[in-house]
Amino acid sequence: MFNLLPLKHRATSGGEGLAAAHIALEFSGLTELIRNTYHYRELIWALALKELKVRYKRSVLGFLWALLNPALMMGVLTIVFSTILRFGLPHYAIFLLSVLLPWTFFSQSLSYSVESIVGNGDLIKKVSVPKLVFPIAAVVSNSINLFLSLIPMLLLVLLMRHPLYATWLYLPVPMAALIIFTLGVSFFFAAANVYYRDISHILQVVLSAWFYFTPIIYALDFIPANRQWIFKLNPIIYVINGFRLAIYYGQLPRWSSVAASFVCAFVALGIGLAVFRKYQDDFVFYV
Amino acid sequence: MSSPQSFLNSPTVKLDHVTQRFRVIQERPDTLRELFSKFLRHEVSYHDFDAVSDLSLQVPHGQMLGLIGRNGSGKSTLLKIIAGVYRPTSGRVQVRGTLAPLIELGAGFHQELTGRENIMLNGLLMGCSREQMNAREQRIIDFAEIDEFIDTPIKQYSSGMQTRLAFAVATEVDPDILILDEILAVGDAAFQQKCFARIENFRRAGKTILFVSHNMNQITEYCDRVIMLDRGKIVSDGSAAEVVETYKHLTVPELANAG
Repeated sequence: MFNLLPLKHRATSGGEGLAAAHIALEFSGLTELIRNTYHYRELIWALALKELKVRYKRSVLGFLWALLNPALMMGVLTIVFSTILRFGLPHYAIFLLSVLLPWTFFSQSLSYSVESIVGNGDLIKKVSVPKLVFPIAAVVSNSINLFLSLIPMLLLVLLMRHPLYATWLYLPVPMAALIIFTLGVSFFFAAANVYYRDISHILQVVLSAWFYFTPIIYALDFIPANRQWIFKLNPIIYVINGFRLAIYYGQLPRWSSVAASFVCAFVALGIGLAVFRKYQDDFVFYV
Repeated sequence: MSSPQSFLNSPTVKLDHVTQRFRVIQERPDTLRELFSKFLRHEVSYHDFDAVSDLSLQVPHGQMLGLIGRNGSGKSTLLKIIAGVYRPTSGRVQVRGTLAPLIELGAGFHQELTGRENIMLNGLLMGCSREQMNAREQRIIDFAEIDEFIDTPIKQYSSGMQTRLAFAVATEVDPDILILDEILAVGDAAFQQKCFARIENFRRAGKTILFVSHNMNQITEYCDRVIMLDRGKIVSDGSAAEVVETYKHLTVPELANAG
């Protein structure tokens, strides 16, 4: 099998005229990258909806699965943890699900976006389109799922007679941080997987290890105080904690914790964008 | 933004010493395991070749340019550079105006989606807005003659129907530059006729068209100017009749030599 690789790029592209911009924008600075991607926002939305549509096509209940899926999962977990495995925590199912939902969003988004460039290779080889739209669309389609899964979450809270705290109104804040963080990590893995397809397999292992090292099925308090610092190095813990405090405890996180969640999110976004931008022009030769 | 006059007078597509170099690696390591084993055995064999080599080209506004040459002569690479799919290894590329690339038919088509959904997706991929595409939808459906199947997933379309739909979308988005890469080989005679009628309209509207075909009759009939490529270079550039003649003379002895 032969493979084509480009040599190092030295080309410059002209910036005058209408679609000289069209070509130039692919190859120049970060603001251009963002502006160009923003120009294709309707495409991002259409791709995200397409993702959902294709996922639920051919099923009798169709889009309803986006609601039913988390609802059924919640049902199973609730039965398991309120009858079979009983922990010392009241309403453990809510304790668990309040952070399992954002975690599921995070891991699903990554699983989708890691394949997003390679999976759209045919398209990238034929149409000049900002490559960033593909991982973004993967994250957006999973964001829709995350929003929808809050409906069964709300029903569960009412059904289990867990107090419905006003702090639910705070949820958009951790959600924003979570989506920014997820975008950054997604960009990185989407780009890396173009070069080595092992990345998508490695990612699955990383995600399951990451799951157990994040206080999802347990609380950070369960960890001996002298070892908690290790867990605090985990960048996703701050944002995850915001969800649990708001839904389960009815509390707002401390300012320092909110700040930490946004610092982690923007650092991840910065790294992800920088890596993606550096390699995006070469994707076409590897997909 | 330049003035209308200078816009009309200056070339729509301008390439300055453009080179697209590829490194051909036998068995590029696709996985880390392969990379390690290759690395350990010092087995990285490759050679470089220029698919497009130090090529300069200006296409004036409103010209229909034909590109001919044998397989592997660099026609498709050149079109992909102009379409912005490839970033060239060196050289300068300037393209003014919006561009509709038909490098392969139905590149943006998703088989599970309906014709209508694909029209929208394809238009958005070419950088159009949802609003623009809504306005054009009916005209696209009419031209492609797929009215009764428009809400059927396109995996149930025949290849001819998909071709028609793709051509209809690309030409209806009203680009300043239309790129046609051997796509008119498909489709029945009646639809081909219709496509060429539309291409004719494009020319009259002063649009630039880049046309690749192995059908020399189509080339001579429609193109204002033809360039012939060989090993990534322009070896002949002139009127359709001249260049097609050269092509015929050139290919016959070369084929004989190769045999």
